[in-house]
Amino acid sequence: MSLHSYALATCFALAVELCCLSVVAAPKTEPADQSADRHFTLRVLPLLKEKCFGCHGNDTTNIRGEYTMLSREELLQGGESGEPSIIPGNAEDSVLFQAVLWEGYEMPPKENDRLTADQIEDLRVWINAGAPWPDEATQQKFREAEWEVETNADGRLWRTSGGTSEEWTSRRYNPEEMWAFEMVAEKSELLPESVPADEAVDHFIDQRLTEADVKAAEEAKPRDLLRRATYDLTGLPPTPEEVDAFVAAWEADADQAWEHLIDRLLASPRYGERWGRHWLDVTRYADTGGMSNDYERSNMWRYRDYVIRAFNEDKPYNEFIVEQLAGDELADESVRERTGGGDQKVFQTQMKGDYTQEEAEWIIATGFLRIGPWDNAMIEADEARQIYLDDVVNITGQTFLAQTLRCCKCHDHKFDPIPTRDYYRFYSAFSTTHMAERPVPFLKEENRERFEEQKAHVERMLAFAVAEKNKLVEKQETAARKWFDEHNLPYKNEQERKNLPDEEKPPRHVGLDHVEQGQLKVREQDEWIWTRRLERFQPMAQSVYSAADIPGTAYAKKLRIKRKNDAQPPVNHILTGGALTALGEAVKPGVLSALGLPVNASQEDPYVVTDDAFGRRLQLARWIAHPENGLTTRAIVNRVWQWHFGTGLAANSNNFGAKGAKPTHPELLDYLARDFVENGWQFKQLHRKIMLSDAYRRSSTPAEAEKVSEVDPNNELLSFFPRRRLTAEEVRDGMLAITGELVHCYGGLPVMPEINMEVALQPRMIQFSLAPAYQPSATPEERNRRTVYAYHVRGQADPFTELFNQPNPNESCEIRESAAVTPQAFTMLNSDVMNDRSIALAKRLQEERNTTEAQIDRAFRLVFGRHASPAEKQQLTTYVKDMQDYHQQVKPEPVSYPTEITRSLVEEFSGRPFEYQEILPIFERYQADSKPADVSAETRALADLCLLLLNTNEFMYVE
Amino acid sequence: MNPTLSRRQALYGLGASLGSIAFSSMLNGEQAMAAPAADAGPLAPKKPMVPARAKNVIMLFMEGGPGQMDTFDPKPELARLHKQESMLTGGLEKGFKFFVGSPFGFQKAGDNGIDMCDQWKYLADPYVANELCNYRGCQAESLNHPEALFHMNTGSRLGGDPSVGAWATYGLGTENQNLPGYVVMTELALPQGGPTNWSNGFLPPYYQGTRLRPSGSPILDLAPPSYKSREHQRRALDELSRLNARHLDSLSVADQRLSARMESYELAYRMQAEVPNVIDLSRESRQTMEMYGLDDSETETFGRQCLMARRLVESGVRFVQIFSGGWDSHDYLERGHSARIKSVDKPMAALIRDLKQRGMLEDTLVIWTGEFGRTPDNNKRGGVYSLGRGHNNNAMTMLMAGGGVKPGVVGATDEFGARAVECVHPIRDLHVTLLHLLGLDDNKLTYYHAGRFKQLSQFGGELIPELLA
Repeated sequence: MSLHSYALATCFALAVELCCLSVVAAPKTEPADQSADRHFTLRVLPLLKEKCFGCHGNDTTNIRGEYTMLSREELLQGGESGEPSIIPGNAEDSVLFQAVLWEGYEMPPKENDRLTADQIEDLRVWINAGAPWPDEATQQKFREAEWEVETNADGRLWRTSGGTSEEWTSRRYNPEEMWAFEMVAEKSELLPESVPADEAVDHFIDQRLTEADVKAAEEAKPRDLLRRATYDLTGLPPTPEEVDAFVAAWEADADQAWEHLIDRLLASPRYGERWGRHWLDVTRYADTGGMSNDYERSNMWRYRDYVIRAFNEDKPYNEFIVEQLAGDELADESVRERTGGGDQKVFQTQMKGDYTQEEAEWIIATGFLRIGPWDNAMIEADEARQIYLDDVVNITGQTFLAQTLRCCKCHDHKFDPIPTRDYYRFYSAFSTTHMAERPVPFLKEENRERFEEQKAHVERMLAFAVAEKNKLVEKQETAARKWFDEHNLPYKNEQERKNLPDEEKPPRHVGLDHVEQGQLKVREQDEWIWTRRLERFQPMAQSVYSAADIPGTAYAKKLRIKRKNDAQPPVNHILTGGALTALGEAVKPGVLSALGLPVNASQEDPYVVTDDAFGRRLQLARWIAHPENGLTTRAIVNRVWQWHFGTGLAANSNNFGAKGAKPTHPELLDYLARDFVENGWQFKQLHRKIMLSDAYRRSSTPAEAEKVSEVDPNNELLSFFPRRRLTAEEVRDGMLAITGELVHCYGGLPVMPEINMEVALQPRMIQFSLAPAYQPSATPEERNRRTVYAYHVRGQADPFTELFNQPNPNESCEIRESAAVTPQAFTMLNSDVMNDRSIALAKRLQEERNTTEAQIDRAFRLVFGRHASPAEKQQLTTYVKDMQDYHQQVKPEPVSYPTEITRSLVEEFSGRPFEYQEILPIFERYQADSKPADVSAETRALADLCLLLLNTNEFMYVE
Repeated sequence: MNPTLSRRQALYGLGASLGSIAFSSMLNGEQAMAAPAADAGPLAPKKPMVPARAKNVIMLFMEGGPGQMDTFDPKPELARLHKQESMLTGGLEKGFKFFVGSPFGFQKAGDNGIDMCDQWKYLADPYVANELCNYRGCQAESLNHPEALFHMNTGSRLGGDPSVGAWATYGLGTENQNLPGYVVMTELALPQGGPTNWSNGFLPPYYQGTRLRPSGSPILDLAPPSYKSREHQRRALDELSRLNARHLDSLSVADQRLSARMESYELAYRMQAEVPNVIDLSRESRQTMEMYGLDDSETETFGRQCLMARRLVESGVRFVQIFSGGWDSHDYLERGHSARIKSVDKPMAALIRDLKQRGMLEDTLVIWTGEFGRTPDNNKRGGVYSLGRGHNNNAMTMLMAGGGVKPGVVGATDEFGARAVECVHPIRDLHVTLLHLLGLDDNKLTYYHAGRFKQLSQFGGELIPELLA
């Protein structure tokens, strides 16, 4: 960030403060006696508690500067300097007052904690009024009286299940910041009757433009609109033929052409691939579990395909929510119903995986609850469990409710009306949820092509590991036999001799030097890794199940359904400061209370769900998916808006709290939320509404650029359409589409695109060993599938997509970065991936056109969707010609791929390096892309041109 | 990050150096663009917030966790109790535990009372040892490698927050715009947790550590394929500039993001020339190479990286980090630690000597640390008294030199080395101190993300004044 924007960040902070001030900015007069007591109780004491007592009171064993502030007497006595800290009646000369001004002492010492002007004023008023300090009973009287007042100058009370302190429970909120917790307004209150429903979006957008007197940009050109809509809905560029057809249709009837276009794109299976990926950003899709071992989560792709199908089939969002959060419980209920059986029948079905297609789909959906990074290696079992539950609570809050609940793990929320109690109610709602790989039959929609050949590959890798391991074990046991012989003892194998005293058995790893010891460990790990990967071909799903408790510990290595007889659900407590050992009050499973939306209004506490082991999540999910849950409905329409326009109506789509950005068009947000629910929670109609608006169709060039840069520098008013850079997937998939290499499929086993070979073969540490090398898929048909179908390893990102800001799957990504950094230039110019694409495109051009000029024009049509201008043709014809001369002079090296590599690792016990061989059998049958050495100088020259075009801003940005 | 800021930043922030004037001149056929003014861009050098003691940092990260009692913190009590049952608690391992005496003898090095085990031959030279500060009071939290690595590198156990180097470059920028501001060197295998250890986290991506790869291309795709010459590349960039300039010109309103992206290609071109120069060690004298141990296979890797670190800092890189693994000695401690010490001793000593001789040590803070320390006791492994140590988050040891740090021993551990007992501080205080030395105030070096202004120490920390000269 530059200095300039650093300053802007500070301004932003100030702006937040000013907002707070505006609520309470009523000028204060010096209060009389009674009101001075009241002023102290309601304004000054809470301030002292929040800002001072932490270091000057609460902890009697650690008082800073020997200065205690817990009573008036102590304030008068002062600290180690011996000077009284307050002079009643004279704030200006009081040390305490000077300290908060940061004159003399600087208190509180942290910049972020400094008192606001208003707080300083409160302190001044109090000291000048004689610094009264009424007794506890008097204080309580004032406080209770104040609680009767719903809204006062300090803001509004907010009813919740209650915080851990009275101060928190009775604190007040700036109503403007609580917009997300308010009921969603009715459409009739929002849209004047005179405005037709299909003009609603523009009504709200234009209203603000008119208020600000900003002129909207004109409509974008049809070619730009086509490219915008096609990338937006499918993540791919339009073909030249589509451009021609659309422009012709537009000239005949622009509105109809536009409507037809949107319908066509929404009906394309490519739509689900693009919009499913948005969802996977939020939920953090990866095929492995991350952390120390980065274990594969075989068949995680079933969740990915579920998401893609959900978008393509326009699954209602409320169902989408419930299935992801509690699909397994839906399936259990369904089994119960269709078999008439009880718990035992449900459990048996779980073990056998005897599910209908619909039930299977629901269970697959709960992959959502298995998607975060998790590993229990070297972590105590209860802590590992806590890490899982915290993660699930947090991701559920961010994904569905746009709430960052993580803050409330340790304390009542600092800014939002979410007590830590509600965090632990949520936590408790998940506390009977257990992770498992479950037998779930494949669906007829699921793509099971490639199973056989992929299985053969896994078996090959496994056989190699086992053979290598056996050789070493044999050598070790031969030495062991010898040792036993020499000591006149009967031979015992490794297992049998494990617990013998040192004198009665050979040393560990007898007969093996440090190299062999290291190798043995690697082979043992590999054997295990490839054995597990055989499960890729089993009807298994990464899922969860509900159980009161499970026997033993959950190991990330292998998670299967386990049940404990007569188990009781755990009693959950508030964990003070988030520590497992600091048990606070016990809590029941439940939901967020601040919303005022009951789970069951007839209960004494309307915000709790069942405390049975089964059904907690389902009730929680149904509460989230309730039509009146304004967090949920606003959160999703806001995301959809963001994915269309680059910024949400509320800019922090994962955080609707007081510290998140407030909506720029709150009425539009509410209108869309209501309308979405009324229309069956379906996405496609929402896309239509948004994309048919004038706002979406505007040019990306502002009408009054100078004025806009002053009045609306962030384009919050949407007077023009924001230009955006292509996402990582759009860059890769778009290029493959342009070169003609892209292969469409219907999901299934992840594919391995060719990634930078240095990274592919670079050693990657996992606990005790190195992870197997990355081997790309053998054929272009597999490799050149869309990026959403690629294998996503948490510990080994594809450097290409990572560089273009595909998010790190450890954190929910609310919005993607798109800054231009230098390494992107290296990759775009120099990488094999890019040079291969340019050659592929050059070959396509040569097949389709005969002259350089026609080839250039065709390239422009494919890459930009337009013809080359005469100036461009002239420039590039010369360039291609010069490059032909250049390439006549050079001879590229042929490319070869290794079928085996030598790995090096430091052996743990000796600290010395050792080497071992790893096989890469894919490269025995690898169908490589055309490489520079495979093609003529002419093709290489044309490829240079293609590389240029793919590097341009015009390709990388969507207007 | 906050998208509002992100967008503002996109409009006003980076690469504002190039205006449309430059482009129209290019359209007239004039060649190339001048290097941008040094005060532009997110990595432009910035003034420290408070008087700085150090300008640069070289952090030597000993992954796995070196044993304090086997390196710089002698515990004769352990020799006496060797193989006797230990009743100390802590650590993850359960069951029977026994004390493990250090396999090494100890010596005093230099004039400031630094203790060193007898495996340190070069570091013990008074010329070097007199610069060292040995801090024994730091306490980690996590007992697991990746989490502890994340904690030491990013201030958070969870991973995903910006690393120390990212915060430093965010706060200070960097001196050479043709090189990355924050450079990371690893062994062939990445440390546990991988790039998360040098991540920009929620800071903009310019502050991410750039890894110089130990073999192959030092930066991925730095060089064009071998059949494309530098002239070929220049020509391609010129043609590209013309295409981009024409495109920019066709938009009636300028967009800084587009010009910034154009500038990134020119920076890439300059970096292509500069990086190989900086990392080309053949420009060093034979004597220097020998001093760093480049002539010995055991010290070559780390020696090369230490020499590279000096060259990078000399060239204006702000923050350099070197990861060296293999310290996780649960067993065969003597072999393991002596091999690791041997591989880093000579290069580290050379680095400090070299910096000192060149007058760079005053401005360069060198830190040597692991992610945690080790336990005084161990479990049996496979039924055998295995002479190694477990993970210890209550005590560890670190070295610092130069950059405003006071030489000598600071803090202490108990008689077993089990727990820090004097000048005890959590990692966040170390981070606060490190930033302070660089002239940055942890409480002011903040970034708005996910609803609050975040900082390296998470929620604030304390300075460790004992470490300051």
